[in-house]
Amino acid sequence: MEALSVQKVNKVYDKTVQALQDITFEIREGELFGLVGPDGAGKSTLFNILTTLLLPDSGEIRILGMDLINDYKLVRQEIGYLPGTFSLYPDLSVKENLDFFAVMYKSNIEENMDLIRPIWRQIEPFSKRKAGKLSGGMKQKLALCCALIHRPRILFLDEPTTGVDPVSRKEFWEILQTIKTQGITVLVSTPYMDEATLCDRIALIQNGKILGIDTPQSIIQHFKGTLYTFRSADIFSLLKALEDCPLQCNYYPYGEYCHIAFYEDMETAMPQFLQFLEEQGQEHGEIKPIQPSIEDCFIEIVKMHRHE
Amino acid sequence: MKELRMILKKEFIHIFRDRITLLLVLAMPVALVLLFGFTISTDIHNARIAVLDHSKDSQSQAFIQKLSSSNYFQIVSYPNTETEIDFQFKENNIKLAIVIPHNFESQLEKEHNTTIQVIDDVSDLNIASILNNYVRSVVLDFQNEYNESITHGEPFSITTKMEYNSNMESVYMFVPGIITLIMILVTALMSSITLAREKETGTMRMLFITPVKKIYVVIGKVIPYMIISFISTIVIIVISVFVFKMPLNGSIFFLLLLCIIFMLTAASFGMLISTISTTQLDAMMITMMGLFLPTVLLSGFLFPLNSMPMVFQVLANIFPAKWFILAIKDVMIKGSGFFDVWPYLTILFGMAVIFISISLKMLDKRN
Amino acid sequence: MNSIEVDHLTKKFGDFVAVNEISFQVREGEIFGFLGANGAGKTTAIKMMSGLLQPTSGKAIVAGYDVTTQAKLIKRNIGYMSQRFSLYNDLTVFENMQLFGTIYKIPRTELKQRIMDSLAALELTKQANLLVNSIPLGWKQKLAFATAILHKPKIVFLDEPTSGVDPIVRREFWNLIYQTASTGVTILVTTHYMDEAEYCHRISIMADGNIRLLGTPEELKQQVGVSTINDVFVEYVKH
Repeated sequence: MEALSVQKVNKVYDKTVQALQDITFEIREGELFGLVGPDGAGKSTLFNILTTLLLPDSGEIRILGMDLINDYKLVRQEIGYLPGTFSLYPDLSVKENLDFFAVMYKSNIEENMDLIRPIWRQIEPFSKRKAGKLSGGMKQKLALCCALIHRPRILFLDEPTTGVDPVSRKEFWEILQTIKTQGITVLVSTPYMDEATLCDRIALIQNGKILGIDTPQSIIQHFKGTLYTFRSADIFSLLKALEDCPLQCNYYPYGEYCHIAFYEDMETAMPQFLQFLEEQGQEHGEIKPIQPSIEDCFIEIVKMHRHE
Repeated sequence: MKELRMILKKEFIHIFRDRITLLLVLAMPVALVLLFGFTISTDIHNARIAVLDHSKDSQSQAFIQKLSSSNYFQIVSYPNTETEIDFQFKENNIKLAIVIPHNFESQLEKEHNTTIQVIDDVSDLNIASILNNYVRSVVLDFQNEYNESITHGEPFSITTKMEYNSNMESVYMFVPGIITLIMILVTALMSSITLAREKETGTMRMLFITPVKKIYVVIGKVIPYMIISFISTIVIIVISVFVFKMPLNGSIFFLLLLCIIFMLTAASFGMLISTISTTQLDAMMITMMGLFLPTVLLSGFLFPLNSMPMVFQVLANIFPAKWFILAIKDVMIKGSGFFDVWPYLTILFGMAVIFISISLKMLDKRN
Repeated sequence: MNSIEVDHLTKKFGDFVAVNEISFQVREGEIFGFLGANGAGKTTAIKMMSGLLQPTSGKAIVAGYDVTTQAKLIKRNIGYMSQRFSLYNDLTVFENMQLFGTIYKIPRTELKQRIMDSLAALELTKQANLLVNSIPLGWKQKLAFATAILHKPKIVFLDEPTSGVDPIVRREFWNLIYQTASTGVTILVTTHYMDEAEYCHRISIMADGNIRLLGTPEELKQQVGVSTINDVFVEYVKH
């Protein structure tokens, strides 16, 4: 059964800003689904709609068999939400916040302790501290406990790792995996492309449109170009030089490397490219073919949509 | 119900952990009432008055003696006719004139009743009404002493008759006014600000995606501030009665009931404001401009309504404060009961119901 | 020549040591990556270097001025951009730049030309009169950067400038950083994107108020024996 089915959802703000355009996707029960895209892509609008706070202009949404638009009161008991910004009471203590949301959901902490225990254990030493005085990571763990306290069947997480350092991000994704094993369906959004590979399936979203939905592996398989990577002593002079490259290609810095995706027959294109680099006087390391990452795919898909 | 209890608990935590605001909210009524009370009642010493004594007997002399020995008055002239009094007023020589009737002493002795006429300068209503009260207190003193001096015989009373200012505005007008302001500040302003704060911090969203009923959220917001402002109201009344000797002629319980209904109206207005504002600043500005200012200007508390242009008199009707002040004045000063003021109560209650229903509708909108 | 010299710089808040005797130098025109976990002390260190916060002890010379005694001069000679606060949403692009330009006392006669030049460089001339809140985040960040360097500072502090920005715009943004650095401006940048760390000339990794590692990305990877900066980071900032 589908845990969530979103069909042709549209939302326009102020009559001009198309925040969401024909958004359509389904999430299976127990799936960890990623919504990948930059800030301003429409992810937060979508979350507001899915968490019953906002009505779409058109479209149909079913959550666990319920109609989200009309049965929103029933839906609320079944969903949990971790918003992108800290949204608990800063002047209430950690424990008071948790108690409060437990009662709001007609739930009790003891009953669902097994679900939140791994997270709760980390913040329990601070249970008397005011939530506003916690560090960023702790705040987020508390918010996650509050979102899970009623054992929701679907959990929505809006950019839980934006502005979070790589170590804490890794920890957070480990927590998400354990939540998934509890049978909870998870929809998580992120601007970090590397996190996408940790999802069962992802939707790439930009400017209110879904550019593609698939498993990360399949998205990578569908990369259209032929991707190469190589080093250069001065990557920015290299990029400058590549502006004049006559071949059909897409190039960009990728960490210490330069990635270049060709849309050509490589038999003839590669010698041409090597010759071009030589003419430009660009020194470079070995040019190796490489398996694209989700970030490479995203860049390719966005650039293609731009050309359309 | 457990949810409502929890929301109330949470709300009280907010209130008690924000010490500065709590202190401000509790100290403000006391400060306001003392400020108004003392500036109004103590500024007037040795007001220049004239006494026209038609009687010229020993009792009238005793009364005049009483007047001049009080700190309140300085008798600057003893005119012989009413026209002379008029002249003195026009010259701005006196603030008040007292006319002792013919046969003052014999009226006292035989009829145990007499009438002293007080003529005010209406150019300053506040001062006039304060002076009137001073005259009253002197008369009361005089009367008590007289009653003591005759060991037997019936007590008598002196009626003062006011001229120039027939619909006597009481000096105590500031008390209902302050109660109104405090209730609006505490209930409307505080509840609208704290609700807007929940919007700002995002906790409102978290609250609204839970299955909790909206009405609980609203009631939970309103009740704590009603309790606080109720305490303030009692403090104001106690200070007014015991420090400023304000008359409290109506039933205290009915008075408090009236206050509760007005608080409900003010709080529901606050709710309405917070539904249309997105930030605390918005909420504060709208409450100040849309409720507090009209209350100060258009409730008849500082500026008499009937001397305003028609537009404002009509406009005043849509603000709850006008109705509350009418009712509370009647109850405190005239001693009116439910059957005298029920129309005002109905209006206030009706406003509360309308504001709350609109707020709930607005909160339920999902856009 | 060094444009930033930090020597045993320390900041304590009560018993808590936010920054613990850090020392490093940044050369003129260098892009210096200032990495670290959340709460490692990066923001406190940047505040001290930009003259907003008095150090408890230690010394820092920024753009030739001492942070403890010449904070005002430092503020005039640095640019600052953060993901949290950068531009006023209810002003237009032009008004924002005009405002900051005026704050930094750019002569009125010159200001307009500088703004137009800087917008032309970003190819955003047409957007000059749009309200900031109506333009996409990627543009906003680029504009915020252009605004931060409008007064031609010697050093620019960038605090998570690319947080939440899409991969293409992030690369465009780094292009801007490179162009600016090539004119001799020193850049000190924080980021949580480890691929961006690779773009820096040198990086430092902070944890618990200390600088744990410092060097070129290549040196650090060799030192730790891993192949990416992400692995270096994870290795050194374990909780």
